[in-house]
Amino acid sequence: MKINLRIRLKIPDAEAATVKNTLVRRMGYGKVLTGLERERLFVLEVDDAVEDPMDLARRLARELVNENKESYLASAEGLDFERGSVPVKVGLHIEDGEAETVLDRLRNRLGFSMVKKVERSVIWKLKLDSDDPEKLAREIAEALLINPHKDFYEILR
Amino acid sequence: MKVAVIQFPGSNCEHETLVAARSAGLEGEIFRWNRPAEELCDFDGYMIPGGFSYQDRLRAGAIASKEPVMETLKEEAGEGKPVLGICNGFQILVESGMLPGLDGVDAALAQNVMVTKGEIVRRGFYCAWTTLRHDAVAGRCSGSYLIEKGSLIDMPMAHAEGNLVTADENLIEKLNEENQVVFRYCDTGGETGNEFPVNVNGSVENIAGICNPEGNVLGMMPHPERSSFAWQLPFVDPAARRQIDTPGPGRLIFESMRRYIEVSR
Repeated sequence: MKINLRIRLKIPDAEAATVKNTLVRRMGYGKVLTGLERERLFVLEVDDAVEDPMDLARRLARELVNENKESYLASAEGLDFERGSVPVKVGLHIEDGEAETVLDRLRNRLGFSMVKKVERSVIWKLKLDSDDPEKLAREIAEALLINPHKDFYEILR
Repeated sequence: MKVAVIQFPGSNCEHETLVAARSAGLEGEIFRWNRPAEELCDFDGYMIPGGFSYQDRLRAGAIASKEPVMETLKEEAGEGKPVLGICNGFQILVESGMLPGLDGVDAALAQNVMVTKGEIVRRGFYCAWTTLRHDAVAGRCSGSYLIEKGSLIDMPMAHAEGNLVTADENLIEKLNEENQVVFRYCDTGGETGNEFPVNVNGSVENIAGICNPEGNVLGMMPHPERSSFAWQLPFVDPAARRQIDTPGPGRLIFESMRRYIEVSR
C-alpha cells in the first residue's frame, strides 16, 4: 500500500518564483506560462496490514511536514491533481540519499516499522496556455527542470 | 591582462578570488551578472567563483546557467579566452554545457556520497583539505598551464554537490582519452584510492576538475583561492604565517591563467 503526502508552502515559495522568473524572463516562455507552483511529494510504501492508512498518514505528516510553514494533502494509493495545470514530477534516478535517510529515521528512530520504502520528488504544476500543454511541459522539463544525468521527470496525468 | 570575476546573486567567494587573481599579477574586477553582457568582451579571462548562486534553487548552478551573461561567456570562451569555474562556478559551467563541452549538458554534479569499506558513511556537505593530483600535461589547460603532470597540490573543498555523475556510459572514457580530466582527489602520496576520505565526495574516478576539449575552460570543485597564500594553509610554519605575501599552492591556478593569456595573445 502507498501513502502519498503532497506538501506545499503556506508562505511565498521563492524557489517556484525563481524558476518561473527564469522561464519567463530568460527562456522565452512568458506568453505561454501563466502560472507555476511547486509541491514536495513523499510516496511511502507501507505494510498492507495497516488498518487505517489515513491515520498513519497524519502521524507521518507530523514528522515530515512543518505545519508552521507548510500544509499537506494525504492520500492512499493514487494521486489526483486539480485541473488547469500540468503536474510534472521530478525526482532522482540516481540513489536518493535523503529518501534513504528519511526511511532510516522513520523506521529506526521514530518507530514507523510499517514503512518499507520512501520516494521523494518535486511536483511542478505548470499552468500553460497552449494547444498541447503536455508537449510544452515536456519541453520545459527537459530545458530547465531536470538534469538528465541525475534526474527523471514524469507527466502525472 | 584583466579578468572578470562574475558575481551572481548568492556568490560568496568573489572577493577572495579577485585577491588571488591579483596576487598572481592579473588585473581584474567583480562583474555583476546584471551588467550589460556585452561589457564582458572587454576582459581577457573569466572566473566564476564559489558560493550558492540563486541559493541553489532548483539545483546548484541551474538558474545562473540561464543568465544572458552566460551566453556571452560561451561566445568569449569560443574565442579561446580562459574561463575558470570554482565550486559553484564549476556547477554553473556543467549546467550551461560549457563543461565537459562535448554535446550539451553531458554530466551533473550530484550530492556527495562518501563510501568507506563499501558502506556509505556520510552524504552531503563536507569541508576538508584535499590533495589534488594534476593529471593533465602542462599546457593542456588554461587553469593548470604551468603545472606538471603528476604534481600534487593542496587546497580545501567545501561543497554538498561535487559528485560528478553522468548517464553517458562513454563519457569518462572520452574525458580520459582527450586528457580532459585535469585534477583528481588523491592521498598525500598521489594515490587515487576510490574511497572516502581520499575520494572526498564519491566523484567518479576521483575527478575533481575537468576542462573542455580546447582546454581553455576549467572547472574544479576545490577552492584554489583559499590556498593562494601560505598563511591560509593549516599546516604552515607559524613563522611563515607572518610573511603575508608568501604564495600558497593554489596560486598556481591563477598564475597559470595569467601565463595562458600571455601566450595566447
